[in-house]
Amino acid sequence: MFLLAVTFGCSAPPMPPEVKLSEEQENNLWRLGAQAYAPAGYDRYKIAFRRAKEALIQEQSKFSWFQDYRHVQSELRDVLTAGYALQKEIIEQKNIRKESAANQLSSLKSRIEALKNLTETINEGRLARKDLVKAELLVSEAAKRYENGDYEAAEVKLKTSSGFIKTAEETILPILIRYADRRHISKWRRLAEETILESRNAGVPVIIVNKSQRTLMLYKNGVPFKTYNIGFGRNGSLDKLHAGDNSTPEGKYRVIKKISNSLYHKALLIDYPNDEDRRNFLQARKKGLIPADAGIGGLIEIHGGGKDSMTDGCVAMDNREIDHLFGLVEVGTPVTIVGAVDSRNSLSTAIESF
Amino acid sequence: MKSTLKYLALVMVLVFLIAGCAKQPTEEINAAKAAVDAVMAEGAQKFAAEDAKKINDSMQAVQDELKVQEGKTFKSYDKTKELLAKVKSDADALKAALPAKKEEAKKKATEAQDAAKAAVAEAKALLAKAPKGKGSKADIEALKADLKGIEDSLAEVKTASDAEDYNVVIEKADAIKGKAVAVSDQIKQAMEKVGAKKK
Repeated sequence: MFLLAVTFGCSAPPMPPEVKLSEEQENNLWRLGAQAYAPAGYDRYKIAFRRAKEALIQEQSKFSWFQDYRHVQSELRDVLTAGYALQKEIIEQKNIRKESAANQLSSLKSRIEALKNLTETINEGRLARKDLVKAELLVSEAAKRYENGDYEAAEVKLKTSSGFIKTAEETILPILIRYADRRHISKWRRLAEETILESRNAGVPVIIVNKSQRTLMLYKNGVPFKTYNIGFGRNGSLDKLHAGDNSTPEGKYRVIKKISNSLYHKALLIDYPNDEDRRNFLQARKKGLIPADAGIGGLIEIHGGGKDSMTDGCVAMDNREIDHLFGLVEVGTPVTIVGAVDSRNSLSTAIESF
Repeated sequence: MKSTLKYLALVMVLVFLIAGCAKQPTEEINAAKAAVDAVMAEGAQKFAAEDAKKINDSMQAVQDELKVQEGKTFKSYDKTKELLAKVKSDADALKAALPAKKEEAKKKATEAQDAAKAAVAEAKALLAKAPKGKGSKADIEALKADLKGIEDSLAEVKTASDAEDYNVVIEKADAIKGKAVAVSDQIKQAMEKVGAKKK
């Protein structure tokens, strides 16, 4: 009996081929990134795989002549079937993530570019640009991951990038929100219309500076005569409140001095601050909105030096253009500076996507 | 006949005693586990993910084999010992190879980091020459802010380097270098524009 047992016991049934196949499959699924692209399915697969392995161990533990791998084989076949389905799911998920990452990459690149252009328009570089560069760097890193087929990591980076873009938008928003405010626009439109009416009634040239359009328009007899491109300072899109805020005042002014030999080629000095500016300044100081020792400021000019020059609140033009304008206006010429006259202006539309 | 049966029973008892009481190769198991733990602690999963997985899978195969033998009446740990020896030698070999892999990754990361720093330094030097304050060009002002963002990101590269995340270092450093070079080019263009206007 013992000899028989030893003799027959030595010839154990062969190991089912499914064992090796399933081990190879588990490795392939790991390489495909199952953990990242189908975590729940992969966990289920691993549990089933382990269960089959335990069944195999149990069978291997038996005397050779009692070993029967048929049920293990059947379990492993189920595992293999689940693995093939999982492989398909991973590939599908990868494709979905690939497409999603590609769309996000393209969309974020466009958003960054648009915001960068906007910051250049309003000269808001200090805080927004820093965040936009961080967003840009992350997009660049995500693009690299995308190229390497690591769509999951690309999406993580894109999400972080999106956060920086949002922060940049929040930095810009307070500057631009006035340009979408109907009350502000109505007031600006009224100021511009009154000035144009004065030009028509009195037959005098008037200047309308439009911040959202970055234009200075000269009217003669109430009719547009010439449009010039202009630039402002760092906070040019905001209304001037005090000295040193680098903002450009908004309201009705007049040319009080023509300076033909300015540091910035030629200049037209305007009578900022007017009565309303003084009232706003005092109110702001009372509310503690401005530094206690700040003055109201002055010496606001329309000057040359280039429309892309940074000013401290003045309106900058190219030298050739100020030469032209200088010859067309006199001391006393009305100058009205407004944010926008249309509710759908370039700055109000820019924040619609925020 | 009677004595033959006696001898047979004795042989069977001996076989049971020898085979059935075979003990787990504890020393080899501990040595293999220690080798695996050591190589994983050295960052095998970070620097040689495929090899690390193979070693972990092999260790799992050892555990499975141990279970098989535990369930048997006639235990034999010869195969387990073979597997354990293989796991230990693979783990030791990977541990020996890891410093070179790490060093190579570190070298590449350092090169990328240095290139990024150099590109940022060049952009900063260019910006220092650019006009400042009132009358300076708006685009140069914007580029200054861009450079500030790039410099902030350089700090993140250092953090990744300290954590030995060399792939992350390379990825971030390359992006920074690309952006810094672009900023330098833009500064040059902006300054050329200023120069051309002055003529």
